[in-house]
Amino acid sequence: MLPTLLGAANILLPLAYLLVAVDYGLVFFAAKPETAVWWWRAATPALRGTVLLHLACLLGAAIHWRQFPAATVSQALSIVACAVAVVYVFVEWHGRERSTGFWMVSLVFFFQLLSSILARPNPPDRAIFHDPFFAVHVSLALLGYAAFVVSAGYAFLFLQLYRDLKGGRFSTFYGKLPPLAVLERMMLGALYAGFVALTGAVVTGAFWAERIYAGWLLDPKIVFTLITWALYAGALLLRRLRRWQGRQTALASLAGLASILFSWVAVNFFLSNFHDFL
Amino acid sequence: MSSQNSDPRDPLPARGPDPLLLLVGTDYRCSPIELRERVAYRDEEAEALLVHLLASSGVAEALALSTCNRTEVVLQPSDENEAYRAALELAFLQRAPELERPGCLYVKRNGDAMRHLLAVASGLESMVLGEPEILGQVKHAAALAEAVGAAGPVLRRLARSALAAGKRARQETAIASGAVSLGYAVVELAKNIFSGLTDCRVLLVGAGEIARAVARNLTERGARDLRVANRGAERARQFQEEFPTAEMLSFEERFAALPEADLVIASTGADEPVMTRQQIQAAMERRASRPLLVVDLGVPRNVEAEAGRIENVFLHSLDSLDHLIERNLKRRRDEVRRVEEILDQELALFRAWYRGLQAEPLIARLQKQAERIRRQELELVLSRFPEATHEELDRLTRALVRKILHHPSSRLRGRGGAGDLPRLDLVRELFRLDDEGEG
Repeated sequence: MLPTLLGAANILLPLAYLLVAVDYGLVFFAAKPETAVWWWRAATPALRGTVLLHLACLLGAAIHWRQFPAATVSQALSIVACAVAVVYVFVEWHGRERSTGFWMVSLVFFFQLLSSILARPNPPDRAIFHDPFFAVHVSLALLGYAAFVVSAGYAFLFLQLYRDLKGGRFSTFYGKLPPLAVLERMMLGALYAGFVALTGAVVTGAFWAERIYAGWLLDPKIVFTLITWALYAGALLLRRLRRWQGRQTALASLAGLASILFSWVAVNFFLSNFHDFL
Repeated sequence: MSSQNSDPRDPLPARGPDPLLLLVGTDYRCSPIELRERVAYRDEEAEALLVHLLASSGVAEALALSTCNRTEVVLQPSDENEAYRAALELAFLQRAPELERPGCLYVKRNGDAMRHLLAVASGLESMVLGEPEILGQVKHAAALAEAVGAAGPVLRRLARSALAAGKRARQETAIASGAVSLGYAVVELAKNIFSGLTDCRVLLVGAGEIARAVARNLTERGARDLRVANRGAERARQFQEEFPTAEMLSFEERFAALPEADLVIASTGADEPVMTRQQIQAAMERRASRPLLVVDLGVPRNVEAEAGRIENVFLHSLDSLDHLIERNLKRRRDEVRRVEEILDQELALFRAWYRGLQAEPLIARLQKQAERIRRQELELVLSRFPEATHEELDRLTRALVRKILHHPSSRLRGRGGAGDLPRLDLVRELFRLDDEGEG
């Protein structure tokens, strides 16, 4: 029963996120969002319901496989998608701001779709997947990645609005998004949170890998993760030193996401040695 | 047309789907400001006008709307010709005889008048499409008519429909969305950059009329921290009078104030730029990563265009503000069709109410006739029954009549009106209600 449901979730979850994204899109592109009454009312409950379903699926996978459900790229992507959705639900609830919903839920849909496409019937079962320390390491890494995805989402919106305001072009984005200062704050907040979490993941990973794997530092996955970490560290440092303004930080955030995606997809599938599970 | 009602305040009998209405007015499209200002009515003058209109034998109800862009009187006439003459003379020609020239006044009747008032309240007839103030002005006109006793059932209900249409248009469509004036365009730009105007530090370079207008809009929306750098003492004094909390600076101090400012409004009459790219660049280097919005309202431009290339500096000139205003106006124009749908819905509701109103006298007559017949018949037979049962019989016959008439009355209330005139006439004929008279 549970395996069937988990299999169905691979189709159901991206579909549900797609529908929710369309709903938020109808609100975003309406001339006056409050006038899209039904879509306006349905969007938040629909998203919350989908997130609950997603959490239930992850819990179901953990129970079924008796391990932390991040043993494959597909599972990791699903956790990231869920974490981004949870972050957005919190942001919406806290800030009563729904105008970024379409873009954030679209990101969630993208990650969940990728997860479903890459899904394999049986995840590998290794001893380390049952180690609680592994769960901490992976949780920190995925939390960091989710935060970077959120940051990149806000960075994208920031750049659109920045371009409109700078050039006096006033495209679809103008007047529909939160102010530039708010988008920048959200982007930076997520960036800092992601950086702290990724640092934690790198430290715990290094501590652990030192005990188990020889030559771990040369693994392409580790190398790319450290490059990504350095990229974010550099961006935050330059920002701190007031060398970079919002636009450069936003571009760095997008570059960071590209690096993460490359690290996940290309490195995991073609280059990695010991770190091929994630 | 003569009144058929004993009480002149009763709405005229149905001869169409709409009540008899007469609207006479002038607005920015058909008369110049010199004439409009002569027929603009202050509150006490509008009250006097309404009283005079009511004194006319042809007017049953009256409402006067006077704004800077329009003056209109809406009448429920008991005699249309008389009412028209009264409106023309009392409201317009006495003050501005030139309005008699062709095209200076418009006259709308019945359904057209109703729709026009709803369109006015919704901002469709405003000089700036969708402008919000007109709704409050219609509300004020209705309150004034009510206070003077000039509003009767028809105009009271019509004003309510107009207010409902205006409110719905603003809530349900984007007819009033987006800035369409220079001052609000600046506010809109600032609100798209900063998280609020309350903590926004505003530096105004130049203190002329444009600067004051923009400052007014900014302070209305929460801006508190104003600094003004100006050359002339007289304009600085005028500015300080209107904005006592503003900090006045000498013109040369503008550069010192620049690093702390979030929003700069430049509106001087200088022939050369009063801020160069280098000066703004130098200020940006002394700031944290805060953005700077610079709005150049000067002609020729007050700020070097090259300053717009500096990172985190958003430089807007009159051209880009015009572009923004035009974009917002286009969005408003795109909403007109949806507003008109709202007008249709509200007019349908009004007409349904009016149909019910028209059927009321007929229903009253029907009930009266039935009651008379019941009494007559009861009196004929009552003596044959024991006295103890009289009360019971009375109650029984009352209940019978009430139940028999309940359904026809409901149907008449729901369906009376022009489209159903034959039906009303049929009821009248079937029950011989015309013969009943008031007896």
